[in-house]
Amino acid sequence: EDIKERTIRFGHLVQPGHPLALGVQKFADLVSEKSGGKIKVREFGGSVLGSESQQMSAVQGGVQQMFVPATTTASALVKEFSLIDTPFAFQNTSQVDALLGGPFGTSLQERLPERGIVGMGFWETGFRNFTNNRQPIIKMEDMRGLKTRVMGDPLFLDSFKALGTNPVPMAFGELYGALESGALDAEENPYSIVLTSKFYEVQKYMSETNHVYTANLVMMSKRFWDQLSDTEKQILSEAAAEAGEYQRTISREKAKVARDQLIANGMEINSVPQDSLDQMRAATDPVADGFANSYDPALVDLYRSEMKRIRAAYP
Amino acid sequence: MTVLIFLSSLLAAMLIGVPIAYALLLSGVALMMHLDLFDAQILAQNVINGADSFPLLAIPFFMLAGEVMNAGGLSKRLVQFAMTLVGHKRGGLGYVVVVTACLMAALSGSAVADTAALAALLLPMMVRAGHDKATSGGLIASAGIIAPVIPPSIAFIIFGVAGNVSIGKLFMAGIVPGLLLGIAIAAAWAWVVRRENVPLPPKASFRQQVSAFKDAIWALMLPVIILVGLKMGVFTPTEAAVVAAVYSLFVACVIYRELRLASLYKVFACAARTTAIVMFLIAAAMVAAWLITVADIPGQIIDILEPFMDNPTLLLIAMMLFILAVGMAMDMMPTILILTPVLMPVVKEAGIDPAYFGVLFIINTAIGLMTPPVGTVLNVVSGVGQMKMDQVARGAFPFIIAQVSVLVLLVLFPAIVMVPMEFLWGR
Amino acid sequence: MTMQGLIEQYCKFLRLVCVLLLAAMVVMVMGNVVLRYGFNSGLLVSEELSRWLFVWMTFLGAIIALAERAHLGTDVLLARIPKKARLVCLILAQILMIYASWLVLDGSLTQAELNWFVTAPVTGTPVWVFYASGVVFGISSLWILLYGLYQLLRGRLPEEEDANQSHL
Ligand code: NA
Ligand code: NA
Repeated sequence: EDIKERTIRFGHLVQPGHPLALGVQKFADLVSEKSGGKIKVREFGGSVLGSESQQMSAVQGGVQQMFVPATTTASALVKEFSLIDTPFAFQNTSQVDALLGGPFGTSLQERLPERGIVGMGFWETGFRNFTNNRQPIIKMEDMRGLKTRVMGDPLFLDSFKALGTNPVPMAFGELYGALESGALDAEENPYSIVLTSKFYEVQKYMSETNHVYTANLVMMSKRFWDQLSDTEKQILSEAAAEAGEYQRTISREKAKVARDQLIANGMEINSVPQDSLDQMRAATDPVADGFANSYDPALVDLYRSEMKRIRAAYP
Repeated sequence: MTVLIFLSSLLAAMLIGVPIAYALLLSGVALMMHLDLFDAQILAQNVINGADSFPLLAIPFFMLAGEVMNAGGLSKRLVQFAMTLVGHKRGGLGYVVVVTACLMAALSGSAVADTAALAALLLPMMVRAGHDKATSGGLIASAGIIAPVIPPSIAFIIFGVAGNVSIGKLFMAGIVPGLLLGIAIAAAWAWVVRRENVPLPPKASFRQQVSAFKDAIWALMLPVIILVGLKMGVFTPTEAAVVAAVYSLFVACVIYRELRLASLYKVFACAARTTAIVMFLIAAAMVAAWLITVADIPGQIIDILEPFMDNPTLLLIAMMLFILAVGMAMDMMPTILILTPVLMPVVKEAGIDPAYFGVLFIINTAIGLMTPPVGTVLNVVSGVGQMKMDQVARGAFPFIIAQVSVLVLLVLFPAIVMVPMEFLWGR
Repeated sequence: MTMQGLIEQYCKFLRLVCVLLLAAMVVMVMGNVVLRYGFNSGLLVSEELSRWLFVWMTFLGAIIALAERAHLGTDVLLARIPKKARLVCLILAQILMIYASWLVLDGSLTQAELNWFVTAPVTGTPVWVFYASGVVFGISSLWILLYGLYQLLRGRLPEEEDANQSHL
């Protein structure tokens, strides 16, 4: 028999009930089913196995078998992953799925094994929106001077500077308090995070900028992967793909529900006119291009040609 | 079984003289072997990432503030101020100890630093005035442990980080229980000295009081800055700590002019060294915590405690007795570090408020600092006062009883913690 | 210079580094508070850089504490047994500590190697710099511990220290 008794420690950073956690649970069920109960997947949520960088390093070293961080984290390994975070790149989820499911997504993942990681496909946290306490964002000028928490990532920091805000990198755990006290005016996250972290209690306005799509990369330790038989590899690949389908679907459903719940909790949600979005994109494009200059030109060209094709195919 | 392997390897290593931090690493090794996942990377990864935390950065800053307070004349002025307030009452110096301890607690986060300062400043005065040395030492020890309960508190920071509880909320929750501890030992002291006839200094005139207050105002402003800043969200706990350090440096160097450049180097070196000792222990505990998580020890504990799950009070009593027993044999910090990852899942499962539990937990482990056989605060007082540890422990007995009574009160009436906490934090 | 003297000089140097690291942390974190409230801006690198300095200060300070035998411990048992038995216990303890330090060194080397090309999110510093703190700690403590073991094997018990103090 070429399926052995194995245990996979699968870490993530979110709380129970979040679509990523549901994805991990789905994956665990599928693996158990396909392996006849021989391969067990144990879920370790809520950062109990450590921070993003610690867990990523643990996966590289084979101490932890799987992890599903944002692709933003993966850009520390292969910086071209930052292309996915290009602000205002996508207009809808079809474009996302076409890019990440196509040759660009594959090429990115092919860079991972030399860093000790095998990519098992893309899941999602979803589109990010802008929340603040001062006014609905209709025009780009409305963002001017807002003290905004962004992720500690140069592309994000520079992009939000270009949008006219005062970006502040701050640990997620300190964010609620900073917003409540007014130390910060604004933050940006997907609907589900704004809901589960109760930011609606401390932020009045949400503006649907959909400025960045946060994808998550399913990471598998290469040290572990190389011990597996072909059958085992196939089981895990299939389970990751199936769980991914499920995860993206439920994430998108939950985003709609979360949006309604945010409104029910008193948040004022407004859409942003297309010409304002175009203006914002014009402001951030030079930033993203500047970063892209330091990336592998082959991947940047592939990204650009793919995006051109995809925007035409899924307007 | 897994629990036993963890505890026995930890204790065995400690008994033969391995420092606790290394004993924690070794118990991690034992767990790795037992779980069949031996890998040196687990040690290295967790120990290094364990020290990588912005909230814990508050520790060196509060340590620095504490060192500066003692070396720069802030503590001394608090004693003088307290003297003019309560020095003339029967057993007056005892109340001076309690009042000073509460004031210092609001500036400093460390029981040992506070106790050392209190003992150095006040123990000789008490003995000279004719109070029993052991009882005085016991009082000072018990007053010193108020420091980690009244914010700022390094113990709360460590618990908050290890248990994922809001540090700001813990700080606000600690104020009233900390003051209660002060009142309780003041009451016990009143009882102890009820027949004592020690000559008393004359009552300070209002003028003297005002003058001492003016002298101490710079030190007294610090807790106000910290609490208001935290409450208004002007800064995070880590930033509050750095503000405390910079402010006390400013007062010591510019206002009081008692800290010279040469002693400044020493103050920084001391703060860095003590921080490293604390942080290395925390980092080593992260190795054990990671393996405790992977081995699902909390799940096993929850199974054991299942019968108590429906009755939070009973569960709390059981946990408090357990913590008290561990706290007798171990120091505060390792107790927090080892028990938090084990107990927090139980606390959450039973629906007990984590910040409320944190207050009880910290008071309990603080009491452990003055109980033999391992009690660092006892060591400090006996060291400064040239006494035997048992002497101080005997002298501390009435005050331990008083503080345990406060703990019992808080277990039976959670509102004493919850109501002011919700009022002050209100989230 | 004797080995003991060499260790003391090394610790003196480490103490200076620790003081500088702590001072830099104070300046950076305080600077960020001032910039945020005074000038509505901030040092983007402050958070990440101060955390890394903190990690380094922890492990360099832990080396000093090891040399000064200042790490928190208990002598409940050791204080109550005869000198010979105490010596045996201490030798065993020393060997176990050497083993733990070796594992930290070994694991840190692996992690430093794995993170050779990985960069920190904000500053872009390679992550091996972070794990190198464990390598320096491991090598330094092996040196100090092995020398301590040599002294114990010659039958020399360490001098009685002041009560170990944790500042809590
Ligand atoms: Na305090
Ligand atoms: Na004790």
